[in-house]
Amino acid sequence: MNALIKAEFRRLLATRMWLWALLTAVVLGGGMVGLLTAVGPENFSPPMPGLETEEGVLSVFGMLGFTVFVPAALGTLAMTSEYRHRTATFTFLFAPQRWQVLTAKLVTFGVAGLVYGLVQTAGAGAGFFGALAARGVTPGLATGTVIELLLRLALTMAVYTLLGVAMGALIRNQIVALAVVIGYLYMGELILMMIPGVNLLYPLLPGGATASLTSFTYLADVLADELSTSPVSLLSPVGGGLLLAGYALVAAAVAVLVPMRRDVV
Amino acid sequence: MNQPNYRIEVTGLTKRFGPVTAVDSLSFSVEPGVITGFLGPNGAGKTTTMRMILGLVTPTAGTATIGGKRYGELRRPSEIVGAVLDASAFHPNHSARDHLRIYRTMGGHPAGRVEELLDRLGLAHAAHRKTRTFSTGMKQRLSLATALLGDPQVLLLDEPSNGLDPEGIAWLRRFLRELADEGRTVLVSSHVLSEVQQIVDDIVMIRRGTLVAAGPLREMERFRPSTVLVRSPDAEALKKVLLRGTSDGVAAQSVETGHDGALRVQGLATAQIADLASAARLRVHELLTEDTSLEQLFFELTADSEGDAR
Ligand SMILES: Nc1ncnc2c1ncn2[C@@H]1O[C@H](COP(=O)(O)OP(=O)(O)OP(=O)(O)O)[C@@H](O)[C@H]1O
Ligand SMILES: [Mg+2]
Repeated sequence: MNALIKAEFRRLLATRMWLWALLTAVVLGGGMVGLLTAVGPENFSPPMPGLETEEGVLSVFGMLGFTVFVPAALGTLAMTSEYRHRTATFTFLFAPQRWQVLTAKLVTFGVAGLVYGLVQTAGAGAGFFGALAARGVTPGLATGTVIELLLRLALTMAVYTLLGVAMGALIRNQIVALAVVIGYLYMGELILMMIPGVNLLYPLLPGGATASLTSFTYLADVLADELSTSPVSLLSPVGGGLLLAGYALVAAAVAVLVPMRRDVV
Repeated sequence: MNQPNYRIEVTGLTKRFGPVTAVDSLSFSVEPGVITGFLGPNGAGKTTTMRMILGLVTPTAGTATIGGKRYGELRRPSEIVGAVLDASAFHPNHSARDHLRIYRTMGGHPAGRVEELLDRLGLAHAAHRKTRTFSTGMKQRLSLATALLGDPQVLLLDEPSNGLDPEGIAWLRRFLRELADEGRTVLVSSHVLSEVQQIVDDIVMIRRGTLVAAGPLREMERFRPSTVLVRSPDAEALKKVLLRGTSDGVAAQSVETGHDGALRVQGLATAQIADLASAARLRVHELLTEDTSLEQLFFELTADSEGDAR
């Protein structure tokens, strides 16, 4: 198992993709949060509470939640490229227990996703405090709380990387897998929420779990408003995190039981 | 050293892909120390059989074992079995060295193995290049290097000479011979029968997923006596002499006169023909043995069943 994990790290580091991923993390983290902080949520359209309020700070960091598709896509790409480039043949010859191959990838990309998340949130923290200092605004959230929030966001990125790997194992076809992962994150869940009744499940869907992990409930609140239901109550951050990880594990387990058992021809 | 005997044993192996029966109750074995040719026309089921032996494809019925164990039961399989199935199974942006390092790590093989194999397979100069820039021959060599990382006792190669030039084929032939001489089990598939004729010791011939013939090539050739081609200005007289034979009853089974005037003799060796000609004071200008071609053998072995898989 250790050998498999080491091999997966080698595979990950053999191309320049990790470099591009970290660069993306810095741009999306530092660049985006820095910019949003500099502009100020009170100037967004529609306007949101300013940075001197708790909601204002949460809304700025909550935007990072929309970037989870990046680590998810990286995980999906990593898994599906085994099939696309036919390296699955060699991989399964060297490691005939296919669940071990997937486990090694999950471990490797869990770590990689966490590194991605930490780089992104470190950038976000720097952008946030830098822009605040420039504007001379005192944030509506204690520094300790902001750091805790950033760590939760980093964890969110790691869990989404795992989800991406597991979905890749489940779907195998690179293009279809990417379309499903990104399509769901961008549209699938919003469409689901339009269906009466299903929106009550929102806290249990990946988006809702993400919202509880990032404490960014804006979307949930807007939806509740528009659908004139009572505001949905989200899970606790820990509950949300565990639920997301659970989704990844279920997808991985199904992948091991069905598609990964298929013939490699 | 107590070396386990790594023979490949295929028993009642069957694979159906929906309505297509790719392999049909196939049984044969492959012995260590020789090169076995796994032969059959396109679509005969060679690749499917090899993938079943390697645990990549699940059989509909039957078993395949290596040294008595199924592939999935082997501990550290890459130290026992090496296989090349795809012409190209590399990440296009990995260098040859990256690729080998990943699988050497996965198999837990010694670190020096990568450079050693790059050297041995003549890839050292291209080790840093991305695999997408590789020619077919270089890809074949890199595949072979991957298969050899664990110094395996058993080697399965699916159409290894595809895309190799004559020099590459000659090199492959020597290489496989070395491996077999070291006591390894070598199974090489091909649909080009004439190509493997000079390499293989044993053959397993299949057609439409079923066994046609299996055993040492030499024994198969006994089914069909070799033909000797004789050119002589005294062809007509020689023909009579050869058919009459020696006083102790050694005579040609048949002698045909070709349209070029040459004689095709069956049932006599070249030495016997030369001696008979000399005793009768007849001239011989050319004397050569025509090898029984595997292709002829194949068509003869399958002559009783109509049609062909092609
Ligand atoms: N994944 C698959 N799905 C459906 N049919 C398949 C599949 N793989 C192989 N077949 C069919 O099974 C039969 C045997 O194919 P196989 O590739 O094993 O033959 P082969 O002897 O390797 O042929 P070739 O010399 O062309 O490589 C063929 O009829 C082929 O069409
Ligand atoms: Mg084939």
